[in-house]
Amino acid sequence: MDPLLKRPFGYFRMDAAKGELEILYRVRGRVTSLMSALQKGGEVEMLGPLGNPYPELISSKTPLIAAGGVGIASVYPLLERFKGRAHLFYGGKNRDELPLKETIEKKRLARRLVISTEDGSAGLKGTLVEALEVFLKEQKFPAKSFTLFACGPQGMLKALSRLGLDGYVSVEEKMACGIGVCLGCAVKTKNGYKRACAEGPVFNIKEVAFE
Amino acid sequence: MNKGKNLKVRLGSLVLQNPVMTASGTAGYGTELARFYDPSLLGAIILKGISLSPWQGNPPPRIAETPCGMINSIGLQNVGLEAFLKEKLPPVMKYGVPVIANILGNTAGQYATLAERLDGAVHGVELNVSCPNVKKGGIAFGVDPKGFTRLVREARRRMKKSILIVKLSPGAQDIAEFARRAEAEGADALSLINTIPAMAIDANTRRPLIKNIIGGLSGPAIKPIALRMVYQASKAVGIPVIGMGGITTGQDAVEFMLAGAAAVAVGTATFLNPMAPVAILEGIRAYMDKHKIKDVSSLTGGLVEG
Repeated sequence: MDPLLKRPFGYFRMDAAKGELEILYRVRGRVTSLMSALQKGGEVEMLGPLGNPYPELISSKTPLIAAGGVGIASVYPLLERFKGRAHLFYGGKNRDELPLKETIEKKRLARRLVISTEDGSAGLKGTLVEALEVFLKEQKFPAKSFTLFACGPQGMLKALSRLGLDGYVSVEEKMACGIGVCLGCAVKTKNGYKRACAEGPVFNIKEVAFE
Repeated sequence: MNKGKNLKVRLGSLVLQNPVMTASGTAGYGTELARFYDPSLLGAIILKGISLSPWQGNPPPRIAETPCGMINSIGLQNVGLEAFLKEKLPPVMKYGVPVIANILGNTAGQYATLAERLDGAVHGVELNVSCPNVKKGGIAFGVDPKGFTRLVREARRRMKKSILIVKLSPGAQDIAEFARRAEAEGADALSLINTIPAMAIDANTRRPLIKNIIGGLSGPAIKPIALRMVYQASKAVGIPVIGMGGITTGQDAVEFMLAGAAAVAVGTATFLNPMAPVAILEGIRAYMDKHKIKDVSSLTGGLVEG
């Protein structure tokens, strides 16, 4: 009864043949602390799959992926889906917020990997949005030839929405039911409030009314 | 299944096959539930509240977890009466389960129009009286005896076919008084309690967790208060009472019936487990088996006092 509600997580990796599902999460509060104390053989209750995944890429477009901090968990399956074709912009406050940096480098999962940290402890000093702006300016290809897939803090998504790129964002909202009945996970869009759990969590970047 | 047990419940002229229903605001318009179970397994479904014109709802964050409960400030977001009648109602009426619409408004006139338009289109109409009355400075109907009485009267006048259920507010100074007033104005049944105004604060950011600051508390945390109010209200009237407030098991449901409820509604528990209403119904059956009870209505008011 306490904690009462389930918490929403994106799936990080899945092996259907082995019947395994992996979640990547950051320990922030009570429930994630409880999760980190779970032992092998313990039980969790899960409801899913819920919501909508990132849409398929139009084959003529080049994928750009923007991952802010733990947002990398949401977009990681896309790196594998795009088979190394994606340019990945991965940023955080400092190098501790980039747990998958080495894995992605070693496995060469991205065509180009641009790391940014606000304190400069890894990669470029600054935000990933700044790094992405530099990249776009240096591109000979027009912005329309890219599709952006992004997951990260609200401020990051808002800044990305101003770049004029086509693409999708996966949003994070507090959820109670996860099945579309309580209307708790409302996301403001240009067409009224939508449910992150039912119409989302992936939305067209141009549809969301960022504040 | 029922095996010689009678789970039928009567609310005015409406007979339910069992005492379990979904609480308003926790089951949408019924179609989301159907992904998980056959809605006709339940006694009834109470739908998300509707107002005359669409209401947008409150800005997020709309929900916050609290110990053994949660606070919501959805803001009664709904599609409005016309879209409800045209798009939302037809599919849910096909499930073969009694459908109870929940109505809300800011003036008695709005409730009256809703009652009139819905009469006969649904099996029952539940009045959400916890909305502010804008013609009386925003005081909620459910805590203003005169405004409340007028509201129930206006709705009753316009309903000939569907049953009228009045959902009482826990903010009422004297819940028994509001129960009596609703009965006097011809309500077929009462339902209680609605959520309790509450707050949650993040001490680190110094901000309220809910954008709207105050929201409604629900879940196991409110069960003791809900039980007390169901007890007090049902002692005051002869009409049936639908009890709700933190019911998560069949045993909880039985407690509400012993306190005086003829039926129960399940709300927040659905967020823990979409199958909760069905599981709770099974729990009631299991209790009846264990205690050799043949008729569920014998539990109503069965509290042993003194």
